[in-house]
Amino acid sequence: MPLIIKDEYPETLFREDGKRLDGRDLNELRPIKMEVGIVPNADGSAYLEWGNNKIYAAVYGPREVHPHHLSKPDKGILRVFYRMATFSVFDRKRPAPGRREKEISMIVADCIEPLLFLELYPGTSFEVFIEVMDADGGTRCASTTVAALALADAGVPMKSLVSSVAVGKIDGKKVVDLSGIEDKAGDADLPIAITWYNEEISLLQFDGDMNLDEMNEFLDLAKDALKEIHQIQLNTLKSKYIKLQEETLKQKDNKKGEK
Amino acid sequence: MENNEEEPIDDEFEDFEDEEDSREVVVPGEVLTEDVTNFLPGRGTILNKERNKIISLNIGLKQIKKNYINVIPLRGFYTPRPGDKVIALVVDKNPVKYKCDINAKDFGQLKPKNTIKKGKTRGFRGAGPMREDLNTERFDIGDILIVKVLSADRLNKPELTTVGKYLGKRTGGIIITIDPPKIPRVIGRNGSMIKMLKNLTQCNIFVTQNGRIWLKGEDIAHERLLIESIHKIASEAHTVGLTDRMQEYIINEKKKRGIE
Amino acid sequence: MMDVKRIISKIERDYIISNLKKEERIDERGLWEYRKFQIKSDVIASAEGSADVSLGETRIITGLKYEVGTPFPDLPDKGVCTVMAELLPIASPLFERGPPDEQSIELARVVDRGIRHADCVQTQKLCIKEKVSVYILFVDMYVINYQGNLIDTGAVSALTTLLSAHIPEGIWNEEKGEAEWTGKYFTGKNIVNELPLAITYGKIDDIVFLDPSLPEELVSEGKISISVTEDKITSIQKSGAATFSIDEIKMLGKKSLEIGKKLRKDLNLLQYQSKIK
Repeated sequence: MPLIIKDEYPETLFREDGKRLDGRDLNELRPIKMEVGIVPNADGSAYLEWGNNKIYAAVYGPREVHPHHLSKPDKGILRVFYRMATFSVFDRKRPAPGRREKEISMIVADCIEPLLFLELYPGTSFEVFIEVMDADGGTRCASTTVAALALADAGVPMKSLVSSVAVGKIDGKKVVDLSGIEDKAGDADLPIAITWYNEEISLLQFDGDMNLDEMNEFLDLAKDALKEIHQIQLNTLKSKYIKLQEETLKQKDNKKGEK
Repeated sequence: MENNEEEPIDDEFEDFEDEEDSREVVVPGEVLTEDVTNFLPGRGTILNKERNKIISLNIGLKQIKKNYINVIPLRGFYTPRPGDKVIALVVDKNPVKYKCDINAKDFGQLKPKNTIKKGKTRGFRGAGPMREDLNTERFDIGDILIVKVLSADRLNKPELTTVGKYLGKRTGGIIITIDPPKIPRVIGRNGSMIKMLKNLTQCNIFVTQNGRIWLKGEDIAHERLLIESIHKIASEAHTVGLTDRMQEYIINEKKKRGIE
Repeated sequence: MMDVKRIISKIERDYIISNLKKEERIDERGLWEYRKFQIKSDVIASAEGSADVSLGETRIITGLKYEVGTPFPDLPDKGVCTVMAELLPIASPLFERGPPDEQSIELARVVDRGIRHADCVQTQKLCIKEKVSVYILFVDMYVINYQGNLIDTGAVSALTTLLSAHIPEGIWNEEKGEAEWTGKYFTGKNIVNELPLAITYGKIDDIVFLDPSLPEELVSEGKISISVTEDKITSIQKSGAATFSIDEIKMLGKKSLEIGKKLRKDLNLLQYQSKIK
């Protein structure tokens, strides 16, 4: 649709000082902030700010399956619905879900399903809704990461979390966590996710070109970034409980001191 | 007698009122121990793929009981078990059963044979046509019932009954819902928490396993204070010294709000 | 309150009604009191204006996008501003996935009418070249959590979004036959002229009250929303089976102007105007 400012790509993705356009080093993640319990009505929920990405994930379940014919008699089903707000991208997106959204929904579901015990909940469904309010590269990775948090917040038993990031090549150099502009204007892009239960890859896509050595390097690069992201997820889940424990212990000690 | 504080319920939070330290908070996938010779995976845990570690399945508190490592979940949904007392909402009815929402993944079924009025029987063979309509309760859509779970398993919808002490239709009062895993904390060891709540707020209170709590006080001010207290207990369930703290909180709030 | 179901229990219904009769509400509000508003503006980097508004626990995130297009034939020198709403399935177990339903359409249309008939958006300032090129503004509201009264929340959300607007200024280039960026932006200050607010009441059993929470909404027999500027009523929407007497409507009209004045002052929405040049 016609716009006043055109969506143009810069000539180079690196600054004169060697840093990326947003000031990052090659291996640096964008600032990430996570929170759980952000949607009070949902059974579980989480919110993620990753660079300019702003994503809400909410879980409802186990509950009845609608439409009923999709339910399975011997196990529960997991459904993931990834949607982007119209205003989440530079060029306004049509409200109705498109093919890309359906594809990402499937990919995220594939990462999460192996972590659950669906056979314990026959005839019911777990629904994970992912709403992207602001997008800036790596939304499928961010969505996988925040969906795992929302499920943990819902108290759904899980073998572990899953963490995801995109690594890639821009202007010939290997980098971690591609921003929107790096994704569009870069040479190669490899979104990847690891489930920590068996430390194996559950999401893997690639666009670009690379030789075998490069692929191995990409995978090693990703592993370190994923560990960092996992740590943020773990801290997010624990921090509000630990904080309260510390506060109340302090109160108790103060009381003792008074006596 | 509308309270159920004298009913013994497994206090999974145990009384760590007297403990000095808080319990450890663990999350899904977290390694609880690598000593699989001396410890066994208990509630909320699993052996990892190589069977050399015990890991947590939930966000919860780590607990060691004899040689079992358990995780007491801090978040979760209600799973019906036989013997549970729950608050049910009648959402549909037909001649053969009532369909009840019990805040679980399945709706519960309440059949007329399980709604016999107090002091009545279903009748017996040879005594003439069974007058179920005289001997059983009549419930409507929208009614709140306190029911007991008769049976529940992975594949079948839970069967419910209103026959029993404290069971049956409730009127008056109000109902709130909290996270089901927090319910034991609202009751407390030997009912210590619920007794304190009842005495200090002068409310009647019935706590059930599916996270729903019925309460009724002398006025809305007392009810409000009780509701806020219960939500506070739920959010601080994982901390030590909670009963004493709640007692102090309620006494202070009563002064602040000018109620007795 | 009890976990939300489509059917509200008799106990809850009786509790709400008996307390309303004593002018009591569970959250300690009076019959004519709003829950707390919380407002953040310009929260979405990709949008040309945005707001994150909560009323109690009802929360709506709204964003503004623009496109350049041809004007309507009967309004050749005016831009267009349209409002859309989606009740996201994350917001409540009562919301289902799928295309906008009655409730989301009602939300969009009532907020839209409140803005339109207040002459809130100066659409003549959204014209680039008469008959050829105008701005089309899309104000899209997404409900993130639903605890009653979407309309008043939506109205504040849409208005704050428009105030926070920073839209690239376009000038017509005759040679290229298209609009070109001047390098500057025009803001909410340039295009927003009025501050309409929606004031919604529920009605149960002859008792009328402001800002229904979710349990009150589920028990209500009907509701009425009245949009107001400082001195005018710009739109009214009654919904549900309840009926209102003529005197009640007159009373509510007057009350809405008063409540609107107070709310406008308390919220001080002009602070959310974008400061970009």
